[in-house]
Amino acid sequence: MPRRRGRAQYQHRAEWQNVMFSDESCFNLCYNDGRTRVRLYRGERNLRAFIVKRHSGQTLSVIVWGVNVDNMRSRLLRIQGNLNSNRYIREVSEPEVLLLFHNYDGYGYSGSLEYDQHGGDPHAESDYDRQGYNNIPDMVKRFLVYFRNCISEGLIFEIQNLYESSFPKLTEQFFDKKPWPEVSDVAALVDNDAVFLILYKELYYRHIYARVTGCPTVDQRFQSFYNYCDLFNHILKYRLDPIALELPDQWLWELVDEFVYQFQSFAQYRARVQKKTPEELEKLHNNNKVWNVLCVLNVLHSLVERSKIKRQLEVYASGGDPDSVAGEFGRHSLYKMLGYFSLVGLLRVHSLLGDYYQAIKVLENIELNKKSQYSHVPACQISTSYYVGFAYMMMRRYSDAIRTFSSILLYIQRTKQLFQSRTYQNDQINKQTDQMYHLLAICLVLHPQCIDESIHQVLREKNFHEKMYKMQYGELSEFESCFVYACPKFLSPAPPPADAPPDYDYVKEAIKYQTRVFMDEVKQQKMLPIIRSYLKLYTTLPLSKLATFMGQGENSNWNLNDGMKALIIHLLCFKHKMKNVVWTKGTSGLEGKFQSGSELDFYIDHQMIHIADTKVAHRYGDFFIRKILKFEDLNRKLHMIKI
Amino acid sequence: MAEAMRSAVAQMLTGIERYNPENVPTLESYVDYQSRENTYDLEANLAVLKLYQFNPHLYNTNITCQILLKALTNFPHTDFVLCKCLLNEKHLAEPQIAHIMFLADILESCDFQEFWTRVHSVPDLCSQITGFHDSIRKFVCHVVGITFQTVNRSVLAQLLGGVDDQTLKHWVNKYGWREEENDMIFIANQDENIKTKNITEKIDFESAAAIMAASR
Repeated sequence: MPRRRGRAQYQHRAEWQNVMFSDESCFNLCYNDGRTRVRLYRGERNLRAFIVKRHSGQTLSVIVWGVNVDNMRSRLLRIQGNLNSNRYIREVSEPEVLLLFHNYDGYGYSGSLEYDQHGGDPHAESDYDRQGYNNIPDMVKRFLVYFRNCISEGLIFEIQNLYESSFPKLTEQFFDKKPWPEVSDVAALVDNDAVFLILYKELYYRHIYARVTGCPTVDQRFQSFYNYCDLFNHILKYRLDPIALELPDQWLWELVDEFVYQFQSFAQYRARVQKKTPEELEKLHNNNKVWNVLCVLNVLHSLVERSKIKRQLEVYASGGDPDSVAGEFGRHSLYKMLGYFSLVGLLRVHSLLGDYYQAIKVLENIELNKKSQYSHVPACQISTSYYVGFAYMMMRRYSDAIRTFSSILLYIQRTKQLFQSRTYQNDQINKQTDQMYHLLAICLVLHPQCIDESIHQVLREKNFHEKMYKMQYGELSEFESCFVYACPKFLSPAPPPADAPPDYDYVKEAIKYQTRVFMDEVKQQKMLPIIRSYLKLYTTLPLSKLATFMGQGENSNWNLNDGMKALIIHLLCFKHKMKNVVWTKGTSGLEGKFQSGSELDFYIDHQMIHIADTKVAHRYGDFFIRKILKFEDLNRKLHMIKI
Repeated sequence: MAEAMRSAVAQMLTGIERYNPENVPTLESYVDYQSRENTYDLEANLAVLKLYQFNPHLYNTNITCQILLKALTNFPHTDFVLCKCLLNEKHLAEPQIAHIMFLADILESCDFQEFWTRVHSVPDLCSQITGFHDSIRKFVCHVVGITFQTVNRSVLAQLLGGVDDQTLKHWVNKYGWREEENDMIFIANQDENIKTKNITEKIDFESAAAIMAASR
């Protein structure tokens, strides 16, 4: 039983009643669980004769799960197949634990869970604002107490369940468009547990940012920033010992992600000079350390350094054991994962500032194409690929961008059902997926290349072909609108100057600029699709003939000689732009070799263009497999029919 | 010397130290050094631009110009775009920077003849970068090397910036090209690299095994 930590502090029976014990256990029909069972009588310990050994090999097993609270227990739940955290929440925690919660109340149990009758600490009671406190629904009070207990005991599965499931549910039920209870009201419920209150505040502000209309105010932005400072200070304060806190990886990811998001949101807020009162402007001016880009970078770098995650990844990539270099902190799951997620946070911050080189560099030793022990948080995977693919696109490494986007889009296609149930993650994932399809479409227009058939299918179904057609025919506005929709929300790191002209749009400044850089690139390439469309029709084509084709529709001043000159320039440009660095191997995403990965290539010999195209044979495999499965299914259904 | 400086600067750019504005003078003199000694360190240069981005009052046009020109010398790599992304609209409006942007644009478009004309019209701008012209010629040779199997001698001389016979021979030898009759220069046998690809579907046993087992 793994969940025993910290139980000693529950000394009184009344307090024990607050504690839920849950565990799952696997019973194998043959002993093949890798354990050796020993029956222990006094004095017989470790005697070889009493060790029972059984055969190894395939065996059947039953997994069951149950929970005990005080004098109640849940149903015994049978779990089929592999139990992962998503299934755990969907099938175990949500139906069972929440049911138990409700029943708890139904049994007329009003002992120590009701804090109104708990007179243990009279000071605490006078401390809080009774009015606000009384407004907290009982169910929420119980949730908070239980939540805090789980965190202080390190019940990781239970915390994950409360975080991913109960918290959003209660939010929907009680705090849809309004904030969660004030921290001062919650403090008394949880014995002023400092760590819990920091974590609670993080959720509190995150909810305000996401759901409460008219918020966050400038004060809330400041407070949230200070709370992040408290949190990271708490985590990093001891140089020698890691703190004893464990949080689910999903939460840690969202924590880092939210931290970067709020930084981004603040920079945009600060840039909107027009709508601010002089007091607000002054306040921003006087507190220029708050949400300062250096603070944010400092936090992320500190987490990276403390966890030694870079070294760990290096060792992991070369096949070693990352724990061997992780040190005291890096072995601790909280630090390790915060370190990893901070790398992704840095990727995002660098991308938002237009520093694509650093963006890719920070992920050195992470092999994006491979599944690893760090890659189990889907939202993190998706976000990483989005920013990496985008950076590649801006670096004109279209092959790498296309590879990055298609592999993550395939992954999303395959695992969609898994996170579809978690609605609160869904919006962001859907948005980012759609953005990646746009970016992929752009890359495929600039650098036509074979991609996975099922991704092609989606591009067809979602009508990207019309957009791609327009871009191919040189419609710059289509490029621009796709880019603006799909790009990250770029920031200027420095606040607008104090003497800023009030009519200038600082919010859009950075986006406009990055769009311009991208559009400059597109304009340099604008002749390439036209040339490509001609070349596709031939295997050899004289330069003069192509020059004549290109000259069609030009005015009467056009002559072959100038046309040939212009054509050579375009052809050189074609070759230059289509030969790019492509990652081939190794752990640095920046490295690679020059390759021409696009489907059409050519060379010029004397006055003749020799063209090499890529021919893709029709694929039958998928088609037949689908048909076979369909047939099987039909057959099965026919057998089921009883006449 | 160059290696020692490179590693000293790399040390300076690890972790959060990278953003320390006190590093600016050192890094700026390192940029000067690169221009003078014809060495190149993209990462250090990007760090300078980043420091300018974070501390607009430290911005220095001359250094920025040098960094951009150095990035031009590293074509066909996309260093120039990386540097450009760290600037802003206001910088691009400065006449010197605008001029370099224009040079980069025609170089990216491979309009080499136009590029040389423009470069020669502002000799001061590029003369501060040692070896600027030859670096650009390297890029020209790269593009020529991947485009042509044979190319007319005079066309090549023009692409390289109207070079004389002696210089042309130097570049032809350097890249192992060969002068042929009729004023042609043989670049390389491109059939070997550039040929029609056929992608056919390969189905291995493993991927079909599951379905075969299921439909027994």
